[in-house]
Amino acid sequence: MSTAGPAGSIRRAVWRLRWVFLFAILAALPYMLSYSQQEIAVLLVINVLLVCSYRLLTLTGEWSLGHVVIMGVGAYASALLAKQFGIPVPLSMLLGGCMAAAIAALLSFPLFRMKGFYFLIGSFAAGEIIRLIWKRFTDPFGGPKGLKRIDPFPDIETGFLSIDFYEPVNYYFLSLVVVSVSLFILYRIERSRIGLTFHAIHWQDRLAESVGVDTFRYRTLAFVIASFFAGIAGGLYAHYVGAVNPTRFSVDQMVYVLVWAVVGGTTTFHGPILGVVVLTVINEIVLRALGLDTARPLIYGAILILSVLYLPHGLESLGPRLRTRWQLWRSGSAAGGRELA
Amino acid sequence: MLRKSLDRKISRRKFLGTTAASGTALAAMGSGLSRVAYADSDTIKIGFLAPLTGPVAAWGKPGLDGCLIWADWVNAKGGVNVGGKSYNIEFVSYDNEYDAAKAKTGATKLIKEDGVKFIMMLGGDTWPGVEKIAEREGMLFSTLLPSDLSPDSTTLLAPCEVHPIYNVTGVEWLAENKPDLKTAVMCAQDDSLGKPSVATYLAAFEAAGIEMIDEPLFFDPTTTDFAPVMTKLMAGNPDILCLDTCYADYVHPLCEQAFQQGYKGQIISCTADFYQKIIEKTSAEFMEGFIFQFPDFDDPALNSEGVNFVNPNEFYAEYAKRYGASQWGAVSWEYASIMDLWADAASQAGSAEPAAVLEAMKAGGTGKHAFGTADWWGTELFGIDNALVGDWPVVVIEGGKATIKDFRSIPAWWDKHKDLMIKHMTALGQMWNQRS
Repeated sequence: MSTAGPAGSIRRAVWRLRWVFLFAILAALPYMLSYSQQEIAVLLVINVLLVCSYRLLTLTGEWSLGHVVIMGVGAYASALLAKQFGIPVPLSMLLGGCMAAAIAALLSFPLFRMKGFYFLIGSFAAGEIIRLIWKRFTDPFGGPKGLKRIDPFPDIETGFLSIDFYEPVNYYFLSLVVVSVSLFILYRIERSRIGLTFHAIHWQDRLAESVGVDTFRYRTLAFVIASFFAGIAGGLYAHYVGAVNPTRFSVDQMVYVLVWAVVGGTTTFHGPILGVVVLTVINEIVLRALGLDTARPLIYGAILILSVLYLPHGLESLGPRLRTRWQLWRSGSAAGGRELA
Repeated sequence: MLRKSLDRKISRRKFLGTTAASGTALAAMGSGLSRVAYADSDTIKIGFLAPLTGPVAAWGKPGLDGCLIWADWVNAKGGVNVGGKSYNIEFVSYDNEYDAAKAKTGATKLIKEDGVKFIMMLGGDTWPGVEKIAEREGMLFSTLLPSDLSPDSTTLLAPCEVHPIYNVTGVEWLAENKPDLKTAVMCAQDDSLGKPSVATYLAAFEAAGIEMIDEPLFFDPTTTDFAPVMTKLMAGNPDILCLDTCYADYVHPLCEQAFQQGYKGQIISCTADFYQKIIEKTSAEFMEGFIFQFPDFDDPALNSEGVNFVNPNEFYAEYAKRYGASQWGAVSWEYASIMDLWADAASQAGSAEPAAVLEAMKAGGTGKHAFGTADWWGTELFGIDNALVGDWPVVVIEGGKATIKDFRSIPAWWDKHKDLMIKHMTALGQMWNQRS
């Protein structure tokens, strides 16, 4: 994109306007939703961070089946730090992210000895080990029942301002701020030299190694960063819902993350966001509103199959496809107009 | 060219697409309108917050189906009398997929948007997500899993199923009627439902003088291959195979594996949901004598004087007519029986408000449980007397049909063996004061 001259200024202004418009919509959104839909919006924002952090890992070409468990590490760590050590919740969330990153760093030693399908299976096994530890050790993890009555995010009480984070609208804005900052960091990482190196490892890892790139270290870095943000998402989840248990972070939940990423597409930064937003709205709002509670898995499955058949590059490819069709239609209309004239 | 342009504007694909979109939008509007139309002043709404899809749906969906029959019957008779006025009952359901976060969303929707007066849940993993809302809103909730009970949750009741304590009745009956069976093995999924049930069976076996050959075998809930599980269980050649409180998705393959691996001994289980399908997969001979805890409601024994469930045989017939007899499960009648209790309490209180109904329900310390008058009980085990405990049936499959063999008293067993129960519950970290 050229940035020089008046055309560049206009483009920059339009770009900024788009962001202003997006944030205006996001700010107004909870006030257009019902109370329970605000709850769904909170979980949706948290899931946006989860799936975007997952995408960072996929940049290096590795698909993990343990990302939701890593989110669980953040959730458990944050909950335990707040519950048992009295650490303030905002700090415990951050430490939860750090714990998830630390576990990922530890796991990277065995896992990055594998690639592709073997990494996928290895990550699943590692995740299951962590889940079994949560189940096995009732103290401190609560066993199969998990942890409950987790400290909520502290309310803000000043003379003129009172914010109760039990209210979903307030937690939505808190999550939105945390997730926006996180996404900005993830975006900057992807656009940096490090991000380009991740891409290089994905497409030509041998070539990257031949020019001196330490692929193990970069893969580890991607895994650790992705895990940190997944851990933050876990902390946001735990202190909102107030309970975590091993089943919540099972491979079933991981399948949802994969589906969001696949349906949305992982080529662009916004692809997985589209996936999680569209599928959550369909599954949690539209189908429920239509009274199709029990038919949802069937319809969800059909949508998946159709999207894979007709949008193999994900929802992110829909925009460019429509744009191309629009341009073709316009050029066809113009030619037709000329013909008629 | 003009024609071409028109064709492009109203192509078949476009027509179908726009029609589908319009249909969806209209259906959504219609759905909203129907809710408004229902919300008249002569209707009391009851929330049904349970898994209707997913692996635990067998303990949610049949219950909702049963409630719909209950509502149709009650409404046909003029509704529930509350404060001198008759109200129709409408159930509003929300599929929580056995997930705490979705249960939280569902509870807020039911309370704040649908205006329900009472919410029935399966409980378990989903209750912790709802606990705070119950506390803040003062909403009356019921659970089928009393391990959710604690002194912190005063508006949560277990008015029907006192899982897993009633499992002691099956073991007690087994020990009395088949005293030559002396050794047992047990397996359970490693989750919040399996563990307290294991503790209960361990206590019951110990009280009955039945020896456990091996430690209980906990398998992960994601297990799909039960062949190695069954091989390990059968290795010690036990007299009794205990399937604990396994979900229907596990009981079926476990029985299949036991059959295929040539097991000939006694099987005892908390549930045998859709047992006709197990018989189809194994044989009537193999399932003969299978002991569990949930009767078919066409059983004549349910017509005895002490049973409080209204018209059990007719209820079963209607259920079988609407959904098929093979869809009858452990929970098909349970939520409906809770509604009997709720309706009685609301009539007595003269109000459907949660606090008034709760007070009326617990008045006098006793209540009309489905299987007879029972006591509000539980301080020693749950920290609060919010579980309605009395008699519970012991069911045996005979000639391919579930048959009630006896009604046994849970409090009587508790009075004799409570130390054993507390010992095993404590060992597995299942006492209310051990929960994190």
